[in-house]
Amino acid sequence: MDQLLQHLLNGLVLGGTYALLGIGLTLIFGLMDVVNFAHGEFYSLGAYATFAGLSLADLNFFAALGVAIVCGIALGALTERVLLRPLRGHSIDTVMLVMIGVWISMQNGELLLWGGVAKSIAHPFPTSPLTLGGLSLAPLRLFVLAAAIGLVVGAHLLVHRTRLGRAMRATFQDADTAALMGVRIHRIYTATFAIGSGLAAAAGALLGSVFIAYPSMGDLASLKAFSVVILGGLGNIGGATVGGLVLGIAEELGAGYVSSGYRDAVGFVIIMAVLLVRPSGLFARAERVG
Amino acid sequence: MLKRWLRITVTVGVVAGLVSSLAGLDVARAQAPVRIGVIEPLSGPVAASGNYIRMGAEIARDWLNAKGGVLGRKIDLVIEDNKSDPKEAASAAEKLIVRDKVPAIMGAWGSSMTLAAMPKLEEYGVPMVVETSSAASITKRGNPWIFRISPPSEMEAVGLEQYVPKLTIKKADFLAVNTDWGRGSIQAFGDLLKKNGLQVGAAEFMEQSATDMNAQITKIKSTGGDTLFLTTAVEQITLVLKQAQEQRLNRKIITTGGSSSPTQLIKQAGAAAEGTYHIVFFMPWFPESMPDGKLAKAFVEEWAKRGHPFEGLTEGFRGHDGIMTIAEAVKVAGKDEPTAVRDALWRVNITGVNGPIHFEKDGPAGKESGQSKPSIFIVQIRDGKVALPEFARK
Amino acid sequence: MRRTAGILLALVALTVPFWIANPYFLHVVIMAGIFGILALSLNLLLGYTGQLSLGHAAFFGIGAYTSALLTLRLEWSFWPALPAAVVAAGIAGWAIGRLALKLRGAYFVLVTISFAGVVALVSINWMELTNGPLGLPGVPAPELGSWSLRTKTAYYYLVLAGAALSYEVCRRLIHSRIGRAFVALRENEPLAESVGVDGTRYLVLAAVVSAGMAGLAGSLYAHYTRFVSPEVFLFTYTVTMVIMVVAGGKGTLAGPLVGAVLFTVLPEALRAATSWQWQMLAYGVILVVLVFFLPRGIVPTLFR
Repeated sequence: MDQLLQHLLNGLVLGGTYALLGIGLTLIFGLMDVVNFAHGEFYSLGAYATFAGLSLADLNFFAALGVAIVCGIALGALTERVLLRPLRGHSIDTVMLVMIGVWISMQNGELLLWGGVAKSIAHPFPTSPLTLGGLSLAPLRLFVLAAAIGLVVGAHLLVHRTRLGRAMRATFQDADTAALMGVRIHRIYTATFAIGSGLAAAAGALLGSVFIAYPSMGDLASLKAFSVVILGGLGNIGGATVGGLVLGIAEELGAGYVSSGYRDAVGFVIIMAVLLVRPSGLFARAERVG
Repeated sequence: MLKRWLRITVTVGVVAGLVSSLAGLDVARAQAPVRIGVIEPLSGPVAASGNYIRMGAEIARDWLNAKGGVLGRKIDLVIEDNKSDPKEAASAAEKLIVRDKVPAIMGAWGSSMTLAAMPKLEEYGVPMVVETSSAASITKRGNPWIFRISPPSEMEAVGLEQYVPKLTIKKADFLAVNTDWGRGSIQAFGDLLKKNGLQVGAAEFMEQSATDMNAQITKIKSTGGDTLFLTTAVEQITLVLKQAQEQRLNRKIITTGGSSSPTQLIKQAGAAAEGTYHIVFFMPWFPESMPDGKLAKAFVEEWAKRGHPFEGLTEGFRGHDGIMTIAEAVKVAGKDEPTAVRDALWRVNITGVNGPIHFEKDGPAGKESGQSKPSIFIVQIRDGKVALPEFARK
Repeated sequence: MRRTAGILLALVALTVPFWIANPYFLHVVIMAGIFGILALSLNLLLGYTGQLSLGHAAFFGIGAYTSALLTLRLEWSFWPALPAAVVAAGIAGWAIGRLALKLRGAYFVLVTISFAGVVALVSINWMELTNGPLGLPGVPAPELGSWSLRTKTAYYYLVLAGAALSYEVCRRLIHSRIGRAFVALRENEPLAESVGVDGTRYLVLAAVVSAGMAGLAGSLYAHYTRFVSPEVFLFTYTVTMVIMVVAGGKGTLAGPLVGAVLFTVLPEALRAATSWQWQMLAYGVILVVLVFFLPRGIVPTLFR
């Protein structure tokens, strides 16, 4: 029983990290329809920016996290302005291809800049785990879970309770009408992409300190993010969160009780099963599919 | 009208660019330097290891060149990145052999990469010195162009055998990266344990790029074993140790494969690495204990002088020894011609940073590959430092 | 104009081994041919039915493994192994089609990714069948009677034949009623359904043909490199295919081939032209610039 509980706890923490990856992408992919293959690279950027802040600028951990998020937002805005705005109106595949190019460039740029050796990100939390009976949880992970929840709630509030959020929802529902109503759609697009990238950077900063930072860390992150977003319903922050948790717990239980070699396969099978039953993902609004 | 011109110009421009860059750099056979090909994973999940080996190779090259090179000519390393992709390894081998006309290659780190390049070696008749790959099949496939200086997993297990009773193992579990290396290691060490009448518990795997191993650790915790054999590269070892600490996994941990970089573990895993054992093939913490203490010490000093991270030494030496071996073979052969170099490799008898390098026949008769018998060591992390375990002290 | 260009191209293609003597260049051309077949196959789905498959490497890998296993374990000759590989991949394509059923767009993509993920993991873990990460070395080269097709020149013609066959299949399919149904599906599925075009049936058909073609490429790859390992399922292969199709020009017949040649030669040219640190960075930047200036793809922009 203890083992099961520990697996569930592990899965919860893992799922929280997946959710964090998903909420940024659900804005970019779900709302803007940009197949952002470079999302994982903003994740890596967050981790490396944190590392740089800590080791080069001697900032404290939380300040470095903040810097990382700001970098993500800034670079995201720049990318949108320079590469995506001119291509708006072109086919979704063209945009996807540009983002593939960005992905390759960013990752190899990071490799050139930082080298292939993984970087450890120092954090101020004690390393001995918190224990409750037979269960163990590291304080850092608890912090990451809490931060993830905070970011998810923050993102949800942003989209549903602020003027900016309202403008975003209006733009993505009907850009022309929104423009007529005075919404500066160009700015909204830039802001959305920037926020999504900032969230990815936040995920990278947090998870980079739990794990380690290395140039190809974004690849797996991208893949999980896409799975979580589509599973949870495009554009749905709550859905992405639940999707992340479901995926995390499923993988953990799969690895624990089926086989560690087939761990990711369990996730994939669950995804396929979910889509068979609910073709628009777990929580998408009922829309015509096909 | 403009469109038509644009069309023609772009097409011509693109074609010309491609053709010229492929053909134009078809360097005229450089008479001066002896070129040695190097294929390593310089990007991707094991980029660190690949780069350390490259750094070691560069030290060997510079040392040799400082002493006049080989056959009175300078040594030139032609370095290619195999991106941890067998297809790239094969393409790189082909390019090195055909375009750069190298008489020998060192590579390709991962066993799959090495195996993928092997048909090219046979096709063109060029030898390759294998510096890291551990799959047994590499030297057993009957490829007479392969010469390995790293130990296959079976040899590693044999190297550990003398310490098994001192390690007081009763039941051991395995956690390995899901590659030929990890699997081969589980096989070899599992056989070793069974041969000595010890119990084998769970065998768990992790994907090469996985970062969360909590599920596997939870499972291992419940087997009642007292030892964990861990086989993967240093980044994943760091993560496993940290997560094992978080889950309060209390047991002896032994890492195999030589890629554990204990110094990096101390830095990045901290207290979680305390007490762990590591099978390594180079002990940069006490280089004087190596078979050629002077060479080992000099290597450590040069490495530090170049500002390379200390933790890379446990892998970087492989690059040095590989290049040293090839250079020696060229010297013995008297020319930088592939078949002559291959024949000369059988006559190589030197001592590298790891120890004596001398190839013995391995594999099917008539088509044997060369396998050297490298030195194998075991160290322990104690009090935040690397030390020889009690039982291994002379 | 078109016909003369076509004939000229065919003449050039048929005589390649005679004016490209350097075996490394020939190697690059052979790889370009194999990827050309892959790109054509992906284009059927992406360009014509409008559905993106990001799991296409799975069909490639299934074809490679099937062909390798049949020739290694059951000692089949290459010639029956090749169509077997096509069939095996085609069956997988059928499975995807049935699995995806009513799924379109991003959801279809996710199913293809998941399917590819499962297949990749099976190939790594099912040691008894696939030898897992150790891979299958020593895959035999094809033989024609007593004559081995091991040499690059011979293999080039084999790949050329495969590419020509694939191209012809695509061309026939696209210009037939089926092809028109594909396009109708892509442009406006509900409308197409309302006039009686069964979306799912045609999508499954496209998936089967597309997968089978990828399987053909896989078999050719296996017998050329003579080593198959789970890395054939690497996502980068799928990404490369996507780049070739979209940058070359999706929805055209020549586009994928142009893309395949360009993006096989480009990394190798960069390998020769720059040092290893800059090779892929240059590749990424070139890709971005290319897409920026030719957003509809090379063939549609230059030749329409």
